[in-house]
Amino acid sequence: MESKELTEKIASLLAEKFGGKLDAQAKWDAAVVVPAEYLHNAVEFLKGDASILMDMLVDIAGIDYQTYPNHEGPRFGISYAFKSTVNPGVRVRLKVLVGEADLKVPTISDLFANANWYEREVFDQFGIVFTGHPDLRRLLNHVEFVGHPLRKDYPAQKRQWLSTNDYLLPALEKRLETLGYRVVQRSKEVGTNDNEFLEGSIKE
Amino acid sequence: MIVLDPNGEKLNLMPLNVGPSHPATHGCLRFMAAMDGETIVASVEEIGYLHRGFEKMVERGTWQQVLPYTDRLNYCSAIMNNIAYCRAVENMFGVELPERTKVLRVIVNELSRINDHFVCVAAAFQDLGGTTPFMYAFNPREEIMCIWEKLTGARLTNSYARIGGLYRDSYDGFERDVLAALDSTEKALKDLHACLDRNRIFLDRTVGIGKISAEKAISYGWTGPCLRASGVASDLRKDEPYYDYETYDWEVVVGTQGDCNDRLQVRLAEIEESVKIVRQALKRLAPGPVDIVDPRIRVPAHKLAYQDMEGLIGRFKSVYEGIRVPEGEYYCGSECANGELGFTIVSDGSGHPYRIKVRPPCLTQFAAFHDLVEGGQLADSMAVLSGLNIIAGELDR
Repeated sequence: MESKELTEKIASLLAEKFGGKLDAQAKWDAAVVVPAEYLHNAVEFLKGDASILMDMLVDIAGIDYQTYPNHEGPRFGISYAFKSTVNPGVRVRLKVLVGEADLKVPTISDLFANANWYEREVFDQFGIVFTGHPDLRRLLNHVEFVGHPLRKDYPAQKRQWLSTNDYLLPALEKRLETLGYRVVQRSKEVGTNDNEFLEGSIKE
Repeated sequence: MIVLDPNGEKLNLMPLNVGPSHPATHGCLRFMAAMDGETIVASVEEIGYLHRGFEKMVERGTWQQVLPYTDRLNYCSAIMNNIAYCRAVENMFGVELPERTKVLRVIVNELSRINDHFVCVAAAFQDLGGTTPFMYAFNPREEIMCIWEKLTGARLTNSYARIGGLYRDSYDGFERDVLAALDSTEKALKDLHACLDRNRIFLDRTVGIGKISAEKAISYGWTGPCLRASGVASDLRKDEPYYDYETYDWEVVVGTQGDCNDRLQVRLAEIEESVKIVRQALKRLAPGPVDIVDPRIRVPAHKLAYQDMEGLIGRFKSVYEGIRVPEGEYYCGSECANGELGFTIVSDGSGHPYRIKVRPPCLTQFAAFHDLVEGGQLADSMAVLSGLNIIAGELDR
C-alpha cells in the first residue's frame, strides 16, 4: 500500500533528522519518540516538507506512566497525532517524554491553530507547561481547581469546593490586544483579583 | 471598556456574556464578546461546563465498561460512538468481524448520521426562528428512534455495539422498519429543501456568515461536514475505509463557500448519501452470526454459561477481570456525524484501560468560533453556533 510506505518513510526520516527513535509501543500505527527540544523543528518539518505535508494536527494526548508496569524513563508522555489531507490515509504520531523535574515542552500553537486548546487541556489535566504558549489557562477544569486530575496519583473520588465563575474579561482584553486594539480603560467589572486568578492558573 | 482601535480611534466597547445557559447554546457553552453596537469586535470562548471526567472514569473500569460512557459523548448519535470505540479496540486485537456485523454496523452508523444531521439542521433553523422544519426533521428521527427502541431497548443512549460484535442481532421486521424510515427521511428532505433552499430570511441569515477558508479549517483541525463545507473532500469512510465502505456506491459531499449555509446544506446532502448506503447495505444483509467466537474478546452467549463449564468460566473471567487488550499505544479515528472521533488508547495488557484520550470533533470546531464571529453581528453568532453543531457532551467529556 502506498500510504503505508509513505508513513514508514516519514517515520524513518523523523527518527534520522531529529534524533528520535521509533516507538516500540506503537504496534498498530507509526510513532516516533523525539527529544523535547527538537519537537518544534520536527513538527515544522512535518507540516512544511513538500514530500510529506502532514497538514493537520489531529490530537494531543498526555499520558502519565507512573503506574505503568515495568516503565522506565520519564514519567509523562505527550502524543501528537498528525494526518495528511493531501495524502489520505497517511498518519504519524510524535511522542515526547518529560520527567517530573522539568515539565516543559515547547508549544506548537504557532504552527497549528488548534494546538492552543489541546495544549491547554494537557496543561489542565497533567500540569505540563508549554513554553511560549500565548494563553496557558485551564481548559476543562475550573479556574480554582487545585491539582491535575488525570495524573495517576490524583484520587478519582476527591472533591473540591469551587465558588466562583471563570473570569473571561482578562482573556477578552488579551484577545483585543492580539487583534491590534489597545485597552485604555478597563471595564468596571474587572475586579482586582482577576489577574491573580489568571496568573494563579498559570503558576504551579 | 474603552479601547483604541488599530487606527488609533477611541471606541467604547461593551463586554457581553452569552451562556452557559442560553437557549441557543445547546448544552452548556459560554463566550464573552466585546461589542461595538451590534458588532462583535472580539470574542473568547469558555468550555468545561459539562466536564465530568470521562477519561478519569474509564480508567477505573474494564474495557467493556467504557461503552456506556461513550454513549454520552455525542448523544445525538450514540451508536456511532460505541462503534468508533469498539473499532479501535478490535483493531488492537486484530480481529476480523463477521460479515453480518459489518453490514449491521454500517446500517446503524448511517441511520445515526441521518439522526444527527436532522437534529443539527432542525435546531439551526429553530434558533433562527423557524419552527416548521423542526417538525419536518423530527418525524423521520422519531421513526429511527423507534427502531433504536426495538433494537436496543433504549432511545438515546443505546450501547448497541460490543467489542467483537453487537449487543444482539436485529429483530424480525428490522428491514421493513428501516425501509419505512428511509422513505419518510426522503420525504422530510424534500420538505426541508422546500423550506430552506429559497427562503429569503434563511439565506440572508446564513449565506456568507461565519465563513472559513479551507487552509484555516485544516489548521484548526476541522473534520467532517464542517471541513467538507469549506471544499476539502476529506472523509475517513473513503480515505481509510473500514466496514467495506469503499464498496458501496456513494459520494463525498463537498461545499464551496465554507459558510453557515454550506455547512447545513452539506449535512442535508449527506443524509441523501447515507440513505443510499443504507439501501445498499440492506440488500447485503445475509443471515449469519453477529459475534466473533473468542471468549477472550467477546463474552460467551448466555446459553453457554448455563450449560457449559468453559462458557461459565469465560463469562466470569470476561465480566470480572475484563478482556485483556494487547499492550501498546494506538490512535484510531472513525468518521462520525460531526467529524473524526478518535481514541488514543494506551493499554498495559491488563483488563482495565490504562489511558483513553478522546478526540472530540466538536472541540476543534468550537476552538475556531472567535474567528468565525468576529466582525459579524451578535445575531449571526447564533446562526454560526448551531451550524457547527457543537455537542457539549463530547466537547467537555
